[in-house]
Amino acid sequence: MTSVLSDINQEESHYAPKQAYFNPYEQNGGTVLAVAGEDFSVIASDTRLSQGFSIHTRDLPKTYKLTSSTVLGACGFHGDTLTLTKILQARLKMYEHEHNKKMSTTAVAAMLSTMLYSRRFFPFYVYNIVAGLDEEGKGCVFSFDPVGSYERETYRAGGSASAMLQPLLDNQIGFKNQHGVTKTPLSQEKAIKLVKDVFISAAERDIYTGDAIVLNLITKDGVKVETFPLRRD
Amino acid sequence: MFLTRSEYDRGVNTFSPEGRLFQVEYAIEAIKLGSTAIGIQTSEGVVLAVEKRVTSPLIEAASIEKVFEIDEHIGCAMSGLIADSRTLIDRARVEAQNHWFTYNEKMSVESVTQSVSNVALQFGDDDADPGAMSRPFGVALLFAGIDRKGPQLYHMDPSGTFIQYDAKAIGSGSEGAQQALQDVYHKSMTLKEACKSALTILKQVMEEKLNSTNVEMAKVTPEKFFHMFSKEELEDVIKDI
Repeated sequence: MTSVLSDINQEESHYAPKQAYFNPYEQNGGTVLAVAGEDFSVIASDTRLSQGFSIHTRDLPKTYKLTSSTVLGACGFHGDTLTLTKILQARLKMYEHEHNKKMSTTAVAAMLSTMLYSRRFFPFYVYNIVAGLDEEGKGCVFSFDPVGSYERETYRAGGSASAMLQPLLDNQIGFKNQHGVTKTPLSQEKAIKLVKDVFISAAERDIYTGDAIVLNLITKDGVKVETFPLRRD
Repeated sequence: MFLTRSEYDRGVNTFSPEGRLFQVEYAIEAIKLGSTAIGIQTSEGVVLAVEKRVTSPLIEAASIEKVFEIDEHIGCAMSGLIADSRTLIDRARVEAQNHWFTYNEKMSVESVTQSVSNVALQFGDDDADPGAMSRPFGVALLFAGIDRKGPQLYHMDPSGTFIQYDAKAIGSGSEGAQQALQDVYHKSMTLKEACKSALTILKQVMEEKLNSTNVEMAKVTPEKFFHMFSKEELEDVIKDI
């Protein structure tokens, strides 16, 4: 009796429908980090682009200069990043022609949010951080989720090593879980040193972060770019 | 002359051999039949004042609206066909809100004017989006507002041309009013002076006797943004002129 039943089951499984899957996304790794100071902001990324255990390139910075006072950091699926940054560049140019002025960092952030939300049901798989100076010349950082939720913050890590970096920043910049410390405002030098240090730590543990750091310092004089090596294994 | 006109003033998009678009020119003429509206820009803000033609004692004067709020920081005065102005005002409001939605900032006065001018130019275009007109709009508009460049006043006519002014008059009394504005305007004018001048000039060019029911006045300032004068506030200014 049992053998007859199992025979039927085998017969059925032979004709069972097969579901085909298509995954339009890829995870290409990379980490971005932005910190806002009083009159400056810093946004940095590593330069590794990978897929699984293989490295596509060691030289792909994930920061994109949008205006003389706004830089975008974007990681996740590189294909979407390419399209998103291209649309952003076009929108920026159109805005400048239509309104005869440079787009402010706050306006870039608001526009990016609407652009991401417009793809609410087939999102750009991109984690964005916008850093720059606001209209008063103060440093500002905006962090986004892939469907456009955003908020202004003073520091934020995004991408593959973000879960490692964020608590470190909470402690070092936000003075979280520290007792009896004076909360001193962050200087440019300390911000840059801190960014380098945390990236070195991330590269130790995260296989998707490494090769080099590209660091953008945004001040009223414009964007200064510096590069530093990271471990390459 | 009459012959050339009668042949080339039919199609709204047909140039005459002398290179003129008669329908647009006629639309500009139509403005000169409208009620007078005045705008004055000062360093403290911008004022808009219009006359309301209350042609019958049975008209509810408060129902005639010729000054509109476009957004918190921009106002608009019109002269010409009121119904035509609604379409343009609606567009200005939508554009201002879209800009705020997308960029989280206030739209500049120039950009609002530009966007309205784009609609004003779409007449006669068969495959333009719905809402476009088959003829030119019979209205002139004065946009007054505050943006990062400070207080600003723009004038737009039915051809879609828009120009920034320190002071501008449109409508039937515009010729006399513009001359009067030129005489009275100076760069260091206060907003209070401007309000008074606007009503004084309106009074001069109006056929009816000016009072608080047959004029409308609004100001846009950096502190209070768009503000429509109440009957009491109007009477306060009128008693000094």
